[in-house]
Amino acid sequence: MTATLTAPAVAPPSAAGPRRRRRTLSPTLLAFVLVPLLVETLWVFWPALQGVYLSFTSWDGVSPAVMVGFGNYAELFSDPTFGRAFLDTVLWLVLFGGLSALGGLGMALLLLKDRRGVGFYRAALFTPVVFSLVATALIWQAIYQPDGLVNTILGALGLDSWQHSWLSDANTALYAVIVPALWRQIGYIMVLYLAGLKGIDPTLYEAATVDGASRWQQFTKITLPQLSSVNSVVLSVIIIDSLRSFDVVWALTRGGPYHSSELLSTYMYSTAFQSLRLGYASALAVVIFVLAFGVILTYLVRAFRDADA
Amino acid sequence: MTTARFSRRNFLAGLGAVGAATALGGCVTSTGSSAGGGSATGPVTVQSNLSAPSAKAAMQALIDAFNKKGGSQASLNTVASETFRTQLPTYLTSSNPPDVMTWYAGSVARSYADKGLLLDVSDVWNGATGYSDALKQLSTDSGKQIFVPTSYYFWGLFYRKSNFAKWGVQEPTSWADFLQVCETIKSKGVTPIGLGADNSTPWVASGWFDYLNIRINGANYHRELLAGKHSFADPQVHKVFDQWKTALPHFDPKGTALSFQDATTNLLQGRTGMMLIGTFLLDTTPKEDVDDIGFFRFPVVDPSVPLAEEAPTDGFFASSHTKRTQQTLDFLKYLTTVEAQEAYLKSSSGSSLPANPAAKDAGTALITKGKEMLNKAADLTQFFNRDSSDALQPTADAALIRFIQHPEQIDSILTDWQTAAKKVWNS
Amino acid sequence: MSRRPKGPQAALKTGGYHLVAGGISVLWLLPILLVVVTSLRTFDDVAANGVGSLPHSFTLGNFAQAWIDGGEFQAMVNSLVVTIPAVIITLALGAISAFALSRYDLPFRRTVLLVMLAGNLLPPQILLVPVSKMAEMLGIYDTLGALIGVQIGFGLGFYTFVLYGFMRAIPSEIQQAAVIDGATPLQIFWRIILPLTRPALASLSALAFTWVFNDLLWSITVIRTDTKMPITSALLGLQGQYVSQWNVIAAGSVIAAIPTVAVFLRFQRHFVAGLALGAVK
Repeated sequence: MTATLTAPAVAPPSAAGPRRRRRTLSPTLLAFVLVPLLVETLWVFWPALQGVYLSFTSWDGVSPAVMVGFGNYAELFSDPTFGRAFLDTVLWLVLFGGLSALGGLGMALLLLKDRRGVGFYRAALFTPVVFSLVATALIWQAIYQPDGLVNTILGALGLDSWQHSWLSDANTALYAVIVPALWRQIGYIMVLYLAGLKGIDPTLYEAATVDGASRWQQFTKITLPQLSSVNSVVLSVIIIDSLRSFDVVWALTRGGPYHSSELLSTYMYSTAFQSLRLGYASALAVVIFVLAFGVILTYLVRAFRDADA
Repeated sequence: MTTARFSRRNFLAGLGAVGAATALGGCVTSTGSSAGGGSATGPVTVQSNLSAPSAKAAMQALIDAFNKKGGSQASLNTVASETFRTQLPTYLTSSNPPDVMTWYAGSVARSYADKGLLLDVSDVWNGATGYSDALKQLSTDSGKQIFVPTSYYFWGLFYRKSNFAKWGVQEPTSWADFLQVCETIKSKGVTPIGLGADNSTPWVASGWFDYLNIRINGANYHRELLAGKHSFADPQVHKVFDQWKTALPHFDPKGTALSFQDATTNLLQGRTGMMLIGTFLLDTTPKEDVDDIGFFRFPVVDPSVPLAEEAPTDGFFASSHTKRTQQTLDFLKYLTTVEAQEAYLKSSSGSSLPANPAAKDAGTALITKGKEMLNKAADLTQFFNRDSSDALQPTADAALIRFIQHPEQIDSILTDWQTAAKKVWNS
Repeated sequence: MSRRPKGPQAALKTGGYHLVAGGISVLWLLPILLVVVTSLRTFDDVAANGVGSLPHSFTLGNFAQAWIDGGEFQAMVNSLVVTIPAVIITLALGAISAFALSRYDLPFRRTVLLVMLAGNLLPPQILLVPVSKMAEMLGIYDTLGALIGVQIGFGLGFYTFVLYGFMRAIPSEIQQAAVIDGATPLQIFWRIILPLTRPALASLSALAFTWVFNDLLWSITVIRTDTKMPITSALLGLQGQYVSQWNVIAAGSVIAAIPTVAVFLRFQRHFVAGLALGAVK
């Protein structure tokens, strides 16, 4: 009986045109969508609405909140630290996001085939993902110290003039933090790409080999298009992680020295929990959200349109 | 089908309703009410930020001793100090708050008291004997006591006695002597002044600002400045940095790239000559080196300014929402006793002084000397964040680190500092 | 099982491969090796010589200290009590919603998907205060249940989105055949789609496990009592107000990494096993 109630109207992304049929919603399917949605509403959307509400107030976390209308948003425009954090975030998105996608795909391709030792290599790349942040921060601080590993190696190579206080120099702090961030991220992107690459039908490659396609042609004509669904996941991950990138930066520099490695996320956190200006911090959070959602929406709407075309 | 459609649309409409957001805003910013009923049974909950293993063990010993007395009972709950700091407003505004919390005296405690979040502990003070008036003053807000101090420590310029002897230098007392000592140490190929003010412990640099300001402008001006009654761009503040500039060439150029613990390592290894720091430096000094550590008072800059010292005071306050008022007061009373404070000091590293003058301190030469210094001081300050707020500290960190790296930018540094500080004061 | 390269040229190729992959792996493991080395040093050694110096001491005592004094045993139990149900429930909820949204032409399905994903785009730090107040209102503040709930809520949007992508890619012929055979949506989900999504589920569960296990932000937000804290907050607790015992923290981090590495090694078989979607065709 349920079967007559429900007819799958789904078309694979590549198939022609969506077929719309009159149908009745199966209660199972409705529950499949609504239960998760309700859970997320309770834990995410409801607090998020409160966050939006807070962005229109001035609140120190203790006293009663005072409504200030769009005052917090207006302040953003005259706040030089916000401007700096905004530009740093864009830079971070390009460098950290781009490099982690390239590195993750590269490593996934390198470690795709099962052969001796590959399990170890994959685990090696993934280990930073699982390592506690406290230890990560400790060790990268030691690496970047004035007489830490980086400067020691530079000294041994005779590049003494390149030696540097990497994390405390306003000119290098942000770039110095990107390295451990990538170190933590690449293994994670690699895992996503590995799953995607494993999902590609091997007969496609066999056919291409028969047709005499080169390795590069196989990559651009088969691998990349077949990865499109994973790509949208990776893109989302990168946007989410770049715009929300917080833990490594906070642990290593706290946005310092004097805001030189400040990202929107670290600035928001210090505004909320150090300056105790939760209203202004909420406005920053809304800005981060709008940015992230804007980028992802542009991509997804196009992807959806392609799927429907 | 129609019902399904209807409910879904309804649901989405509900999500989008801004009206709902306004209505729910009330619950996120509300503070818990004490009229929540609930049971007044169970032990007094003590939320502690003393997470270092030795301090944690010392606190546990203290609680155990209290529980053994058979009266009210208490239970200890230790969280990381960083966690504690961010969660403190949540604890205090919770409808079921911890009864007693570790924290420090000064303007931070007062600002919570002004919001009605702290329990009036005047009762504890009425029973306590021997506490100095200065400590009582520090713990008082609008005529009632809201804080129970248990220990305090001091700041100074710490050095290795063996190294000073090797270099043939004496403890300086005046600024000119101090610079002379720096010159001598430098001539031995050693960096005279160590600093550990990297991104993880930038606040260490505030010690220099505090001390120079109270030596040049006096403790009262310092406190007023931190309370927003003067501007950081004032000429008085400029004078502080002009003075600092005379010593800056002797600072470790890597000082803003090292954490306080790394800087301590450098001091112990003789790579730097001395360091302005609090007694907690002893907690990261290997046992066999502790006896070799000495300190001297921050040099006098202007002899006409009465000598004030930094003496950060630690202790406890209680939530005004507690449901166990009497038991909480019992516990706080116990904390003021000689017995409790000695028990705590015995188990901890012993680098601080008990607040109750009748209690015995660690008794080492260094601690005795520090105690004398504080006893003779004309005034005591707490520390930058304790005399202002944790919210103002990051503005100081940004300004001071930038000054140490780029002293030539002092004018714009001070105007930027004032702008940032104003936002904190106004919020 | 795979073709073994033969001849000197192939051997050279294999050697080159291991040189590159091995080199990168060593580079990746180097910082972790430093953590391990630090975990074997005494505090006095670290204090006197610094974290970055060559070790002058050797001790295994840090592990005992982290495990017993640091309360890591209890914290590890807490972490697992939170992580395992959170991962299973999130993935189950994510899978059913992804299934319904990707395999059926439900009205507004893309809007729902976007809304669910949008929940993951908010910086979590700003939700800390509202979430802790809400947990308090629900009367579950300072319970592991609250932590499980918040982990589920915050993982859900992303997992749904990822699984949606994978499920979309499954050819519709398979499902249509089942519909003709009279299979219910539940049967289609359980017998056809779910098995085909296994590689994605395996990768996701490995990732979800690390995320939930390593989360710090939420645990300090909804948990107040030290004996209920998961391992990340316990590690943070080893850092003192002024002085941190880096050697003990390093030892604690090594212990804390064991479950997640084990999960990764266990699950990597799945997404590496080559359960290619095409193979079922």
